[in-house]
Amino acid sequence: MANSSDHNAEVLTPTPGERLTHFFARRDVKRTTVLFFLWTALFVVLGLVFYPKWMPEIMSKEMKSAESIMIWFTVISAPIAGLVLAIATNSFMDMHRGDNPPEDGPAIRTHGPIVAVWTVGSLVFALVAIAWGLIEVNSQAVAAASDAKSAITVEVTGSQWLWTFNYPAQGIETHELNLPVGVPVIFDVKSADVNHSFWPVQLGVKVDANAQVTTVIHTTPTKVGVIEVKCAELCGLYHAYMETNGAVMSPSDFNAWVLAQGGHTA
Amino acid sequence: METATHNEVSGGKRLASAIAFLFLGVAVVATVGFTLHSVSKESQPKTYATVNGTVTVDGKELPHAFISQSVFPDDASARANNVNRTNTHPWPFYTDSHLVLPAHSVVTMTLKVYDGGEELNTNYFAKVVGTIDNMMTVDGQQVSSLPPTEVQHTFTLHGLPTSTQEPLFVNVPLPKVQDADMEKNGSHLVVFSFVTGGAGEYVWNCEYPCGDGTYAKFGAVMGQNGYMSGKVSVVNG
Amino acid sequence: MSTSTKSKDVARPVPNPKRSLITRLHMGTGVVVGVILAAIVYYLLKKSLLTYTDGAADPLSPHDNNILLLGTMFTWSIGFMIGIGALIGPWRWLVGKDLTDEEILYMAGDGQGVKRYFKYCTDHKVVGIQYLVGVMTLLGVGGTMAMMIRTSLARPGAHFVTPTVYNSLVGLHGITMIIAMIIVATGPFGNYIMPIMIGAYDMAFPRLNALSWWVLFTAIPVLCSAWFLGGIPTGWTAYAPLSIQAGPGMNAFIATIIIFAVSTAVAGMNITTTVVAMRTKGMKWNRVPIFVIGSTISVALAIPAFPTFMVSMIMTGLDRTYNTGFFDANMGGSGWLYANLFWIMGHPEVYVILIPGVAALMEIAPVFVRKPLFSYNAAIMGFAGIAGLSILVWAHHMYIAGWAPSLNGAFMVTTEMISIPTGLLFLVLIGTLWRGKPWMKLPMLSIFAFIWDFLIGGITGIYLSDVPADGYLHGSMFVTAHFHFTLMGAALTGAIGGLAYWYPKMTGRMLNERAGYISFWFVQIGFNVLFFGMFMAGAEGQPRRVLDYAALYKNSNLISTIGAYSVGIGMIILLWAVIHSARHGKVAPMNPWGAKTLEWTVPYPVPLTNFDELPIITSDPYGYGKGK
Ligand code: HEM
Ligand SMILES: [Cu+2]
Ligand SMILES: [Cu+2]
Ligand SMILES: [Cu+2]
Repeated sequence: MANSSDHNAEVLTPTPGERLTHFFARRDVKRTTVLFFLWTALFVVLGLVFYPKWMPEIMSKEMKSAESIMIWFTVISAPIAGLVLAIATNSFMDMHRGDNPPEDGPAIRTHGPIVAVWTVGSLVFALVAIAWGLIEVNSQAVAAASDAKSAITVEVTGSQWLWTFNYPAQGIETHELNLPVGVPVIFDVKSADVNHSFWPVQLGVKVDANAQVTTVIHTTPTKVGVIEVKCAELCGLYHAYMETNGAVMSPSDFNAWVLAQGGHTA
Repeated sequence: METATHNEVSGGKRLASAIAFLFLGVAVVATVGFTLHSVSKESQPKTYATVNGTVTVDGKELPHAFISQSVFPDDASARANNVNRTNTHPWPFYTDSHLVLPAHSVVTMTLKVYDGGEELNTNYFAKVVGTIDNMMTVDGQQVSSLPPTEVQHTFTLHGLPTSTQEPLFVNVPLPKVQDADMEKNGSHLVVFSFVTGGAGEYVWNCEYPCGDGTYAKFGAVMGQNGYMSGKVSVVNG
Repeated sequence: MSTSTKSKDVARPVPNPKRSLITRLHMGTGVVVGVILAAIVYYLLKKSLLTYTDGAADPLSPHDNNILLLGTMFTWSIGFMIGIGALIGPWRWLVGKDLTDEEILYMAGDGQGVKRYFKYCTDHKVVGIQYLVGVMTLLGVGGTMAMMIRTSLARPGAHFVTPTVYNSLVGLHGITMIIAMIIVATGPFGNYIMPIMIGAYDMAFPRLNALSWWVLFTAIPVLCSAWFLGGIPTGWTAYAPLSIQAGPGMNAFIATIIIFAVSTAVAGMNITTTVVAMRTKGMKWNRVPIFVIGSTISVALAIPAFPTFMVSMIMTGLDRTYNTGFFDANMGGSGWLYANLFWIMGHPEVYVILIPGVAALMEIAPVFVRKPLFSYNAAIMGFAGIAGLSILVWAHHMYIAGWAPSLNGAFMVTTEMISIPTGLLFLVLIGTLWRGKPWMKLPMLSIFAFIWDFLIGGITGIYLSDVPADGYLHGSMFVTAHFHFTLMGAALTGAIGGLAYWYPKMTGRMLNERAGYISFWFVQIGFNVLFFGMFMAGAEGQPRRVLDYAALYKNSNLISTIGAYSVGIGMIILLWAVIHSARHGKVAPMNPWGAKTLEWTVPYPVPLTNFDELPIITSDPYGYGKGK
């Protein structure tokens, strides 16, 4: 009995390797595989090309980290998107037209291993995203803490519909945001009225401005250039115009600017 | 719809009905758009600055443009104080809201201001910023700022600085008319000049919280176009 | 699955000859009573609020004006409900003489033809059609506003409308669409189809069903009145303190939300009870059609969510009328309190919108692929997982609010976890597609569109849920594009698929196919172009809700506007098809798609009580396929 059944098994049950070869020899599987690579490649290219092209100049670590998340999460999700779209496209190409329904397909109700693999796969994917985010958040917090001593402070006030900046150590008050390159900066943000959101675009950070409380955000400008300051929270009539310029400049230029504004350098 | 009898129509008729419906739909949306557009436009008649001669600033000779307007209190206090106004509004207002200024010029603006005032929300706006030498004249006297508690409205000009247009920022606080003078139809005359860059579209608004009775006093009149806010177009030629 | 139906005529009681009050009330009397009562209350309130100096009336203070307007709006709503006869039943019950059988039959609209659509009609099929018309109206109004927004953004310079009008357009487009999308599937299909699907004579609470629709109806004129009261400056999120500062138009927003919350609570309880208690014999939980499961989870999720919105609006209303200062930091309140309340509603709400749309497509997939639904259990786990997690993620909308930066990590974890149940939804759909030959009809096309659109929405959502990327993207056009991919690309596409699928049962005719395809491609291609442009603008750094933008963004905005017009044209064509086919379409057979759910076993017009004899269920409705 035992012998014969062993013998049968050898003949009838293909080895996993054989099953795999059979599987990939199927027409629909072949086509899906090709589609999978095409769609995956498309998403990789989308992520690598479009975001760097669209996003403004990167002038801080935070901005860099935002951009990398957008690019690399697209790349990581590309195979998943590729698989979903490959199966969908494959099915689309097999479509049946006409006024009567097609023949019934195979009565596959579920497939335990596939559901399990898919679930574990998406869990791993979610964990990667979470880990990535937590590490970034943590390293930004650590950097902020260690930079705090050498940082300059800018008190930002949002008023309907203008930003003003107070540099307490320099004793100046302005409507344009100039910063020295390479020096950590702490923004203490508040509002004179409704909620606003302080967004120095090229620095890649943002925090809401609220009445009566101060919210804080840190960054270190890493590059000299023009920055735009916008409001990212709807604040009424002229929200669209609640924008101002600024610049990241060399420390000597910054000092010269401070003096020209009637302030003093440390 | 009660009983489904055969009501089918010919292909031609169906196509005609579809096309007619499409046009009708587009027409309805377009009409809504047109209505909104025309309702929107009215509130902003343009006021042009007039160029008269030239003036030299920082060694450069530039055309000199002039524009003037008034700032009036709301209806109730105007009535109580016999202020003469060209038109009436329930709210305080600048007489002109859409200003057109020449590019690369010195613009001298004269404001006759009639309203009383209180305190600013943000003291920065008590400073004169962006005018020539950051100065203005109030009733003939040169000043560079006002006490933040003595302000009646501000003229604050700004724009989208990130576009191809040059940044332009001007802030002028207007001195309030003291309560005692309000009754005598008192006023101040404020004059200031600033230099425009290239052509561009900007906005101005008032930073004095005159939308009384609402949160931060920035509702009511402050949330409406054309009383305490408007456009500034800087144009070539 | 086997069903047993016998065709025998039920003896109908003769309607009550002495016409009781019920027979005389309808929408018209509702409007009349509503308007008269509102006018009286307006007059009395105004009289009591006015103060005089020297004989002349002073203008009302903003607070008093808010009291006046809110009072009038709520009175209109209550007055309308009285006038249409909503209170007759409860009143009779109070005085101890419940409605007679004739009256109940009358209220179900028996034998009243088209008139019953304008009455307080308890027939779930009538309510379903009412919801369908309501949804299409709201989508039309919201869509028109979308066209206005895009026209205004077509080029820089704010040449089209003033800031006041623009801000109102954005906010009212937002809230109109949100309301429409919340009811887009559970309203028409949840009411018309679902009771038949589970083999019930009617909903559990037919009168509440009529109530939910007509209460919602009273909110529509209230919302529209915002335009005549100066608009709203706050967007659909109505953040405080901006909402406290806002002008009289804000009262319309507040009243609308409160009225709408009543309607959804009633509808939610009704649908949930119906599904729990009224499934026919043999329909065990593992045999319930997936659309029913999805809709039930969606409305069950709405039951705790909307009261939170209602409460936040009541508090806003109190701040605006009696200066209570809940959200006013200068009085010890906090705007963050509002933001929390709002998003505790707001995040579950996006899944309230999404789930029924996906569930409708899951119902459709097996029929058109002729295969069983792949892993029914995974689908249920997907919906349940999403629903469960969705109440724990709200503060991902507040990463940069400054409220609790130290909680950002925790909310990031819960948010990213949602990709697991979401992944299951994709698995169910592609698993069903695999090795099948899809029958290429309009409902099937929607599945393909859904897969693409929801994928894009999902991937971009992953960046937004990671704190550092949100630090850049929050409040930008990127967010706007992301949520349109999920709300419109996924949920609305699902609902349109559902409409094409159930249209024959709801109208007795087939939806015009050619027009359906043309509309589909106009909408889908336009949609992708439209929001590709917005992704681009957002990544470039354009904030959302702005009426003017720098020249840098002019290409991306032009792309968006072109796409939007294409969507608009497509939607008009779809609307034509829906209206035209209802009268002139091909007459539909009883089961045009060869589906196995119960709604296809009843004829059109569906009899008043759906089934003469309730069917008995012996299997789930997905027994397609050969082999195994
Ligand atoms: C014809 C199709 C549509 C177009 C062209 C369109 C376009 C727009 C635009 C341009 C905005 C303003 C963007 C901004 O500045 O933030 C917007 C906002 C919005 N849309 Fe749509 N939309 C469409 C359909 C929908 C649908 C179907 C929904 C369904 C829920 C929806 C929900 C919203 C919401 C919630 C907002 C946010 C409003 C706010 O910021 O307060 N839209 N839409
Ligand atoms: Cu803003
Ligand atoms: Cu003012
Ligand atoms: Cu959310």
